Amino acid sequence: MKEFLDLEAQDGVRMTWNVFPGAKQDAVSCVIPVASIYTPLKPIPNVPVLPYSPLRCRMCRAILNPFSIVDYIAKIWICPFCFQRNHFPQNYSSISEDNLPAELFPQYSTIEYESNPETGPTVPPVFLFVVDTCMIEEEIGFLKSALAQAVELLPEKSLVGLITFGTYVQVHELGFGLLPKSYVFKGTKEATKEQILEQMCFFTRKPRPAVGVIAGTRDGLSAESIARFLLPASECEFVLNSVIEELQKDPWPVPADQRASRCTGAALSVAASLLGVCVPGSGARIMAFVGGPSTEGPGAIVSKTLSEPIRSHKDLDKGSVPLYSKAVKFYEGLSKQLVHQGHVLDLFACALDQVGVAEMKVAVERTGGIVVLAESFGHSVFKDSLRRIFQSSEHDLGLSFNGVFEVNCSKDVKVQGIIGPCASLEKKGPLSSETVIGQGNTSAWKMCGLDRKTSLCLVFDIARKDGPDAIGQPTSNQFYFQFLTYYQHHEGQMRLRATTLSRRWVAGPGSVQELVAGFDQEAAAAVMARVVSFKMETEADFDPVRWLDRSLIRLCSKFGDYQKESPSSFSLSPRLSIFPQFMFNLRRSQFVQVFNNSPDETAYFRMMLDRENVNNAVVMIQPSLISYSFHSAPEPVLLDVTAIAADRILLLDSYFTIVVFHGMSIAQWRNAGYQSQPGHEAFAQLLQAPRDDADAIIKERFPVPRLVICDQHGSQARFLLAKLNPSVTYNSDNPPPHGGDVIFTDDVSFQVFMDHLQRLAVQQAYS
Amino acid sequence: MASAPPGPQRPRPPFIPNPNTNTNPNPNPSSLPDSFQNLQIGRPPPPSAVPRGVAPPLPFSSAAPRPAAFPAGPGPAPSVAAAPPMGPPGLIRAPLPSAAPPQSHVVRPFPGSPPAGAPSSQPFAAPPPTAPQTFSVLPPQSSGPFTGNPALAGPPNSQPYMAPPSSQPFFGTPSSQPFRGPPSSQPFSRLPSSQPFMGPQPPFSGPPASTAPFGAPAWQPQPRPGAFPGSVPPPVRMPGIPLNAQNQMMPPPPPAMGYSPHAGTQMSTPLKIDPNQIPRPMPTSSVVVFETRQGNQANAANVPPPATSDFVVKDTGNCSPRLMRCTMNHIPCTGDLLSTSSMPLALMVQPFALPHPSEEPIQLVDFGETGPIRCSRCKAYINPFMRFIDQGRRFVCNLCGFSNETSRDYMCNLGPDGRRRDADDRPELCRGTVEFVATKEFMVREPMPAVYFFLIDVSMNAIQTGATAAACTAISQAISDLPEGPQTMVGIATFDSTIHFYNLKRASQQPLMLIVPDVQDVYTPLQTDLIVPLTECRQNLEQLLESIPNMFESNKVAESAFGAAIKAGFLAMKSTGGKLMVFQSGVSMEVPFFCEAHKLLQPADKTFKTMAIEFAECQVCVDIFLTTQTFVDIASISVVPSTTGGQVYYYYPFSALSDPAKLYNDLRWNISRPQGFEAVMRVRCSQGLQVQEYSGNFCKRVPTDIDLPGIDSDKTIMVTFKHDDKFQEGSECAFQCALLYTTVYGQRRIRVINLSLPCTNMLSNLFRSADLDTQFTSFLKQAANSIPITPLSQVREQITNLCINILHSYRKFCASVSSSGQLILPEALKLLPLYTLALIKSIGLRNDGRLDDRSYWVSHVASLSILLAVPLVYPRMISLHDFTSKEDDDISLLSATLPLSSEHLNDDGIYLLENGEDGLIYVGNMVSPDTLQHLFGVSSLDGVPNQLVLQQFDNDLSQKVNEVVNEIRRQRCSYLRLRLCRKGDPSGMFFLSYMVEDKTPGGLSYVEFLVHVHRQIQTKIA
Repeated sequence: MKEFLDLEAQDGVRMTWNVFPGAKQDAVSCVIPVASIYTPLKPIPNVPVLPYSPLRCRMCRAILNPFSIVDYIAKIWICPFCFQRNHFPQNYSSISEDNLPAELFPQYSTIEYESNPETGPTVPPVFLFVVDTCMIEEEIGFLKSALAQAVELLPEKSLVGLITFGTYVQVHELGFGLLPKSYVFKGTKEATKEQILEQMCFFTRKPRPAVGVIAGTRDGLSAESIARFLLPASECEFVLNSVIEELQKDPWPVPADQRASRCTGAALSVAASLLGVCVPGSGARIMAFVGGPSTEGPGAIVSKTLSEPIRSHKDLDKGSVPLYSKAVKFYEGLSKQLVHQGHVLDLFACALDQVGVAEMKVAVERTGGIVVLAESFGHSVFKDSLRRIFQSSEHDLGLSFNGVFEVNCSKDVKVQGIIGPCASLEKKGPLSSETVIGQGNTSAWKMCGLDRKTSLCLVFDIARKDGPDAIGQPTSNQFYFQFLTYYQHHEGQMRLRATTLSRRWVAGPGSVQELVAGFDQEAAAAVMARVVSFKMETEADFDPVRWLDRSLIRLCSKFGDYQKESPSSFSLSPRLSIFPQFMFNLRRSQFVQVFNNSPDETAYFRMMLDRENVNNAVVMIQPSLISYSFHSAPEPVLLDVTAIAADRILLLDSYFTIVVFHGMSIAQWRNAGYQSQPGHEAFAQLLQAPRDDADAIIKERFPVPRLVICDQHGSQARFLLAKLNPSVTYNSDNPPPHGGDVIFTDDVSFQVFMDHLQRLAVQQAYS
Repeated sequence: MASAPPGPQRPRPPFIPNPNTNTNPNPNPSSLPDSFQNLQIGRPPPPSAVPRGVAPPLPFSSAAPRPAAFPAGPGPAPSVAAAPPMGPPGLIRAPLPSAAPPQSHVVRPFPGSPPAGAPSSQPFAAPPPTAPQTFSVLPPQSSGPFTGNPALAGPPNSQPYMAPPSSQPFFGTPSSQPFRGPPSSQPFSRLPSSQPFMGPQPPFSGPPASTAPFGAPAWQPQPRPGAFPGSVPPPVRMPGIPLNAQNQMMPPPPPAMGYSPHAGTQMSTPLKIDPNQIPRPMPTSSVVVFETRQGNQANAANVPPPATSDFVVKDTGNCSPRLMRCTMNHIPCTGDLLSTSSMPLALMVQPFALPHPSEEPIQLVDFGETGPIRCSRCKAYINPFMRFIDQGRRFVCNLCGFSNETSRDYMCNLGPDGRRRDADDRPELCRGTVEFVATKEFMVREPMPAVYFFLIDVSMNAIQTGATAAACTAISQAISDLPEGPQTMVGIATFDSTIHFYNLKRASQQPLMLIVPDVQDVYTPLQTDLIVPLTECRQNLEQLLESIPNMFESNKVAESAFGAAIKAGFLAMKSTGGKLMVFQSGVSMEVPFFCEAHKLLQPADKTFKTMAIEFAECQVCVDIFLTTQTFVDIASISVVPSTTGGQVYYYYPFSALSDPAKLYNDLRWNISRPQGFEAVMRVRCSQGLQVQEYSGNFCKRVPTDIDLPGIDSDKTIMVTFKHDDKFQEGSECAFQCALLYTTVYGQRRIRVINLSLPCTNMLSNLFRSADLDTQFTSFLKQAANSIPITPLSQVREQITNLCINILHSYRKFCASVSSSGQLILPEALKLLPLYTLALIKSIGLRNDGRLDDRSYWVSHVASLSILLAVPLVYPRMISLHDFTSKEDDDISLLSATLPLSSEHLNDDGIYLLENGEDGLIYVGNMVSPDTLQHLFGVSSLDGVPNQLVLQQFDNDLSQKVNEVVNEIRRQRCSYLRLRLCRKGDPSGMFFLSYMVEDKTPGGLSYVEFLVHVHRQIQTKIA
């Protein structure tokens, strides 16, 4: 595992197979897709930032990299992807073996280029707040204070705008000093850019440019007309604060048997069009704060009648939700518009009920937006997350904008697609595979919003059909990837990060060992989770459990060590050994067992899964559990009900929730107040240790997880029990040890699962 | 004008004889001479001294002629009531056996009709019998020497006519024309009994020029209408305010006004012919007291004084004629009779007309929960003409004849006279007009609050011309005149290509501005708080009004979304209804840019009409203030106010200098005048007649009723009738107008206005009791209604034909045999030709006007009252330069009106002409710099803008002029838009276009017109 982590540290890449199966057939038999999870903006210490433009291959546009073959005499370099010979330009004339440009240093397989000021202006990021007002006063109060805090933290140069909505959409003209002023749009209609241009008087006194206008200053909008709505944070802080301060509940009356009329879709449409008019192509985020379901206009998810419940997974399965597909279609359109403009949609959904995250997912995910789901605007999950977005600290998000991601690969490797927060630019090339998964059919993707943790899952297709004969020459065993990410850095300037990797093929008999040696089971688990989620959303009648089981069995069957038909002989190499456990937990996870959650929650979990790196994904799939006791230092323990003991404290990190679980005795002692008595400092420390560790996790995680502190047998203990392997249940033969616990479930335990797996893996049928 | 007399006067003695010979309708030979004398009366040179009768109807005729009269002895000092004059008339009368029944005092006998059998009556002069007038027109040739210019030439001196005629004594009909006899003359008498004087005017014969003799009408000195401004109920203030000090009120007008507004009208007629002859308003300040009903019987003689005169009404059974009057004071028994007369049968209903200050207020009757007593069949309201029978146990409805049970609570015994014993104690049984408290049954919801929503154009044009600032200032000042109390609510919005609402309900915070950008599909941004009780938002509102002009200072939006804006305003007030006041400057985006010219007088499309009907259904009344400098398509826009009971105010071309004061005063009067909301009106009439049509500013959704989201003291509704059965001679025809409305203080009321008129089978009665002003107003409205749909030339022809047909009918059926050479006019309608001429030369019927001006005229006329209709067409002109030399008070200054003929304009004179809307000040090119200095503060008018702000300087002339102007404003309830017209410049030409008696390129002179009319009648008779 260590070497994979090292590789990740260097380039931000994890691959399921670090040694590639050499032919299409081999790849298929490997079961787990050849894929990589790449974190384009992973902070990597010592990555040089070169103040000049990269040198590109004139054939395939790949960038000069350490794997290029350089002829110092002839001043020529050979592109490793297409083998094109390229001359160095004049400014590289002094190149020699002793005088290499940084991009040729072998250790700089990942490197950044920064546009110099002449090549591109620095544009400040834009934040457009879109705020729901259909809430009870208390929630509005929470939201106001959170927003006020956010306003304070806004980067000075950034531009800010404000839209509020309820029955109608109000675009606040912050640049109008005399009165609070806002444009009011009907909640039942989408607003196109053309309408915004016309209705908000952007072209008064100027001839309108010919049709097909994109707008923005380049197309003749005056800076003043834009500055009516988007102002530097430093200039409009006062106005913004006073408008926020005066925010009131939507004034339109709501009958007692109805939901508030809330036009989330129209508001987002207005916001998108406004940004499209004002700042097309430059970094901007729409930050939507939504406190309930949309009931009005486009994107409505439920009717206003309270007697009609909001759709559940069951309803979705039955297809009895007419509004759902209409809303999804609307948000798909919105996402296209946003992607076209390069703008991000962030969603802060805080309500006890669902608000429509499931419908909005497409728009948020394709634009690389952030999503936070909480029960209330007063909840720390929301408040702290919002603060984290703007606060600069060692863990800041490094929000970047307007990224474009491109891939170059050696011949015979193609890209099926990306599962992650990006949108296909539909740039189909020789590199695009016929088989498509996620955002495919292209070799370039738009990432309107990306940050340090944004991780893309690229799924590859091995196109090579050659037999083993081709594999003789060592050179041809090597092949290359180049990941290029152009983006607007959070400081404003445009950058390009280039990561170039080399891997090798193996084929033929005996290649199994080599393949296994290159298998990254954590990455594989993360990829399997993304793939299964994707399939569940897109394929009708898909049975995820069955699919996962079959995949696992086939994998074990291919790579396990066993004698046919002899389950007891089965063993797995350490490279594979915990993979079944990941699959066991994945089967039980919220990603697969969706019926315990609302569609909104599922959408939320999946969006997080799809944007996090391997480590965090693994935590989501299989939470980590640490035990604290007097007997030993804190130690990770098995995610099993047997970990529970009366004199232990458990810290469960399931990514979205962190649970501090006090064993019965610990809880009694704590309730008796020993921790504050002299002589019991050790107990105080014991109590404190998991809290500190939880805080450490919380501090670096975004969105901020929910912290649950509970005691054994308390009601909140369910947050822990739900995640544990039910090795002891109410009908187990062996009772739990004293102080232990049982889980009331009929789910199979891991042991039973493994038994079945072994039995099936050794069957002939699966090999 | 006072001077002029001489010329015309020249009496043509020669004529005199003729008259005699003539078979005048008015028979007396003797009359002729008399008539002359009468004429004199009119003429008294020193106007002051002379009684002026301003009477409406003057018979008179031709242009030239007045002559004779004056010369007559009496001339000089026809003292007031002077006996002499009387005499003559008397004589005349006598002979005239006109049908005219003898009237007791008030009566005007009506001259013309000989036939009527018993001339019994009027032997005496005293009674004001009016004489019919005959004129003899000289035919054809007006071309003769004189003709051409009678008017012009005429100047001062003497008889222009005379001279020429040399050849022909009479009009020269040199040529072929046989000549008609001398003009017959008409004697006529003056009548007002009460009036001391009567100026009988003799008929005279027309001078060579065509005309006929004309008689001076008899006028009665009319009470001066002037009163009304004063009459406004106390709370109301009149708009007339000096520019500079807008807030100050002028002192109340003198209670009795000495002059009658319509004096102006009068003069017109005769002037041409002989300025001296023109009857003038009487200086007397006495006001006629008119009892609406005498005894318990309909009395044919009880004809109300002319609408434009000054009178005090005593409601003794019929309603005040201010509230409702009929085109004729006898109702023809049959439809045939009516059509024979060619006269219109219509009521002018002005339910909130301002009373004279000394009249009793309308009484309020509360029947408690049962509501007002009504006929159970036709639902007519109890009124003095319902007959109680059977010891009071039953009453018979005077409208449908149904016999109703009297409810026990309302029972009362009858007295020996057959009336209920309590009749005099119950207003509903003894007053023509009462108000009932409406019960729940009359409400579909709680009475609405008084809601005022202001909508202001802030597009670039409006801002730059100062229109926005003017509107804001006006509103800001006017809000203090809104009715007090929690029931008063206000809202405001501005608009350019988008609509901006303001949330005013934000204690201690600035108003919130909410923009509705989607003008294709408008909506209100809030459901509440856009319209807020005035008490809660006054400060915010004032502050906002102050800042609006600044806020939009640099607005670059050129379009204004008028249609969307009113729609949005409407939506904001939809739930309550109320008044929507729109201040619009720019061209509305919704109006199609170009239309064919002839279609422009019709609304461009149905959108506005549809919208307007929706507004009316929700009780929203729209008033539009057009402060514009461009074409705005009033034809389209005015549909909205005219359907919702509102009106259009037009300031073109808008001047930031002179118009804000008018804007303010108009707005102020608009909100402070007596008015009602969410009204429904129905007019019922006795069986035998039925309502044919309503006309005015309202919305009609069911055939019988009209809906008036707003109704106020300035609005008049015309109701025409047709026969569906016969009446018995001697019976009465009753009219009842019931207006259900909500007061500005939120009380629901029913105002019931009753009029019962005698029926007659005699055509002569109809002519004798014809009401000129009312008939003329009816013609005016008819013309206005047809302008949008008929070519102008046809409308003019129609109007001329109406006049001809009536006169023809009179000539044919009522006038005694006479030579065909005489033009004979019924006394009551003697001004009809002049008014008709003025009408076909008015802005609305002229070919050369701007489309918007014409459309405005049409929309203005639609709701115009009788009182203002006459001056609109036949304005009042007075001279200003000689004010200081006169000692009279304002009122008599005002009554010294000049005929509308350029003959009366001197190069060294300054004249004021006013029609209730505009005031034109005409300055001759020889006016002394001193006078200019006194009046305008400059010694030369070069560079003085035409849109005048009349300042008051510290000198007698300036003060007097200002007083007079303010007096006019008060009288008209309208702040005149003053305009400076200079001789020899386009503005001077504009002024001259009001000289309706002049010959114009496209129109006849007055004299020519009479000839034309006469010829047409002759043709018909032949």
